[in-house]
Amino acid sequence: MNHRHGAKGIVGRGLVGAALALAATAAVAHHSFAVFFDHEKQVSVHGTVSGFVFKNPHGVVVVDVVKPDGSKDTWKAETNSPSMMLRRGWTKDSIHVGDVVTVEGWPARDGALYMRIRELKGPDGKPIGKPADVATEMGQ
Amino acid sequence: MIRRLFGVLAALPLVAAAATPDFSGFWMLERKQIDPDPELAPHVAPNTAVLRDTGAAEFGLMEFGGLKLKPKTLEAAKNWNPKAEMSVSNACRIPSIVYALQGPFPIEIFQGSDILVMRMEYFDMARTFFFNKRFAMPPDAPHTKTGNSIAHWEGDQLVVVTTHLKSATITNNGLDHTDNVKVIERFRLANGGKRLIASQEFEDPEILDNRGVRYISWYKVEGDHVTAYDCDPGIAENYATQ
Repeated sequence: MNHRHGAKGIVGRGLVGAALALAATAAVAHHSFAVFFDHEKQVSVHGTVSGFVFKNPHGVVVVDVVKPDGSKDTWKAETNSPSMMLRRGWTKDSIHVGDVVTVEGWPARDGALYMRIRELKGPDGKPIGKPADVATEMGQ
Repeated sequence: MIRRLFGVLAALPLVAAAATPDFSGFWMLERKQIDPDPELAPHVAPNTAVLRDTGAAEFGLMEFGGLKLKPKTLEAAKNWNPKAEMSVSNACRIPSIVYALQGPFPIEIFQGSDILVMRMEYFDMARTFFFNKRFAMPPDAPHTKTGNSIAHWEGDQLVVVTTHLKSATITNNGLDHTDNVKVIERFRLANGGKRLIASQEFEDPEILDNRGVRYISWYKVEGDHVTAYDCDPGIAENYATQ
């Protein structure tokens, strides 16, 4: 599954939510990618950054996504450990509030608007740093 | 003749020194799963489960990779609440070396003749391996997340026995080792010194009917160093508001 949400709204959000609810377990273990995120699904959102924290154990990018009815969803996208992300070309200044970004990643299993970032494209449409892959995130 | 003999004798210490591998340097974890190493595996005790959760991969709920949990331990795992792990008080809780060594973070080794220091990027942990048994701690000494490690060489393998570990997670899913866990590690170089391979075996009969082992590998990176790991428990608030 790979749903892309436009800046003007979210396409298939309900479907994503339903699918995630079906796949959900009660697990939201800290640091446990396999338990917390579904590596067989991908989610993509496009919106405006309203927050960015780049601290261990995980950085978090907060993205406001405007839906077709004008209401707003707030997604939180978790990075790998910043100490590792620095080696992949990220810094604490990679993203700023107000930036329009596209974030792709693996969604939380519990259906929350929360994901682990695979790739984040900045305002210029270019990926920031080196994207992750399942092999990297899952240790495969 | 005498001159030649002196030459041979002078070369002996160099030969002896060369027999001990030098693990010094920065090592990045190879995040892929590796099979049991053919040179390390024969040293692992019988009745030992090979855990294939090394690196970023982790087990799901009630999945323990072949470890046989005692009934009381199993019950505790069933009652484990993952959400509790994401509380502010737990988000930066430091694991012991049982979990941390295989975590997806690099290590940096500084090897001397009497001690070897292993810095772990994960939570800024630093381990000291003592080659002198006089640094073995008495039973009533404090337990820590890095424990007390006594090391020796067996050929080209570094063997490390660690005790005095403070209870912490084994698999990050509700299974914790006790303060009495014993960890036996073997390290060796491979690929001409470009790879470091380890087996980390642990036994904890209070909670397990068998033993566990992980095989872990790293690749050498020149010029890199372990960085600070300032853990901010504020991450818990981001989970909590979802």
